[in-house]
Amino acid sequence: MIDFVNYLLGGISSGAIIALMALALVLVWRSTRVVNFAQLGQAMFTTYVALTVRDLTGSWILGLVVAMASGLVLGVVVHFLVIRPVKRLDTSGAIIATFGVLIALEALAAMVWGGDPEAFPPPIDNSGYEFFGRTWPFSPYDLLVLVSVLVLVLVLSIVFTRTSVGLAMRASAFNPEVARLSGVRVSRMLVLGWAIAGLVGAVAGVLVAPLSTLSPTSFDIFLVFAFTAAVIGGLDSLVGAVAFGIGTGLVIALVSGYSDSSNAPLVALALLVLNLLFKPEGVFSHGKARAV
Amino acid sequence: MLRVEGLSVSYGAVQALNDVSLEVPPGRVTAVIGANGAGKSTLMRSLAGLVKPQDGRVRFGDEDITGRKPEDVARMGIALVPEGRSTIPELTVEENLKLGGMWRSHTQRGTSLTRVYSLFPVLGERRSLGADTLSGGERQQLAIGRALMCGPQVLLLDEPSLGLAPLIVTQILELVSQMAKDSGMAVLLVEQNAATALRVARTGIVLNLGQIVKSGPAQDIANDEELRHAYLGY
Repeated sequence: MIDFVNYLLGGISSGAIIALMALALVLVWRSTRVVNFAQLGQAMFTTYVALTVRDLTGSWILGLVVAMASGLVLGVVVHFLVIRPVKRLDTSGAIIATFGVLIALEALAAMVWGGDPEAFPPPIDNSGYEFFGRTWPFSPYDLLVLVSVLVLVLVLSIVFTRTSVGLAMRASAFNPEVARLSGVRVSRMLVLGWAIAGLVGAVAGVLVAPLSTLSPTSFDIFLVFAFTAAVIGGLDSLVGAVAFGIGTGLVIALVSGYSDSSNAPLVALALLVLNLLFKPEGVFSHGKARAV
Repeated sequence: MLRVEGLSVSYGAVQALNDVSLEVPPGRVTAVIGANGAGKSTLMRSLAGLVKPQDGRVRFGDEDITGRKPEDVARMGIALVPEGRSTIPELTVEENLKLGGMWRSHTQRGTSLTRVYSLFPVLGERRSLGADTLSGGERQQLAIGRALMCGPQVLLLDEPSLGLAPLIVTQILELVSQMAKDSGMAVLLVEQNAATALRVARTGIVLNLGQIVKSGPAQDIANDEELRHAYLGY
């Protein structure tokens, strides 16, 4: 029992981060109907930027802020430079093009920062709290991660449900034609979707880096988890992405705890297959079933 | 107010509209009637900027708006209610309305919202419910309400009677016609249901296979038995 609690506690912060990554995938999917497999490549790149800024200035916060800004810009750049021109020809081509972007970003990062894993020290203590005479796998840094994710999700949900821009973005996702007929500049909303996704991904990257190490390919595994969470959540649903992101994190923690962490991607794959077999439209989706 | 000159639209080899010219004057309803496939929806979609015409002009006042983007056409004051109750079921009733006319000032939008709720009280009662909970007639009111939120000078109504009970259709169309009279808004109504459309319209235009075969006072068209038999099927 104490093992179970320990594993769950250890999974909370990575679950919260996976939720952010899934959220980024959903934001892009909603705006352009493209799964952006480069999302975590972008996040990896901006995390290197954060590390560089942190090393130069000594400020973690400044690193985070610069990473968020560059994530925003990178999202817009990828959209204009790659996705828009390719998508005009072919939607599935655009999805494949995101793989190209991922590889290009990983190569570029290896050229600029080198391929060896680097430590990204946490800004605050990452050793577990002590209670009732034992050390729990939940640290002040985990708390910081959890609070940051909650704040970001809260801000996003306010933007989406309480502001005109958020309404315009949702309408553009659900029915672009009606949105345009209502005077919404839908193409701008698409760009905004990519920009916000880039920002959210950047936050996820900076938060996750201290939990392992940073290398050009170290986030690849998270793509599997984030993609699983986003698809099970329905790809369309922000709530679903957050809920199943956290859920995926907890499942991975349990699997890693009771067996071995190398089994986690397999379990994620199994969950994905089960979901596609029994509830292909996703748990939180509004839309019709997707073809498998 | 809105003038169409020699409009031609084709989808590949299929010519949907062939040299169509018509005028939509302010303060009244102009009805375009014709059977399924006559080109009615194509006409509406090309006026709203959703379809690019091969030939011809669309003029709004003094301005040539041919080929403008739909969002720009909407912002100029031409609002289309597309066929099939174009509401967004994932949004609430009020969100559907607030989607219309986002570029307008806060005060203008507030005034429009109050007006829509007084025209369609049922929307006010259900404002915070999902649009998917509305009945067909209520959804059509919502679609028209969203268009009115744009503060349009020209309202384009594409087949509003589709799938609705005749009584509800008459109610909605009479309301629209009254609105046109009161506010000077121009209304272009496209209908398969010719009898109802011609009752509220001042002018009737008969479209067949992409061409105008007859236009004139709605009364005359409604009484022209030969025309009715040949093109309108009743």
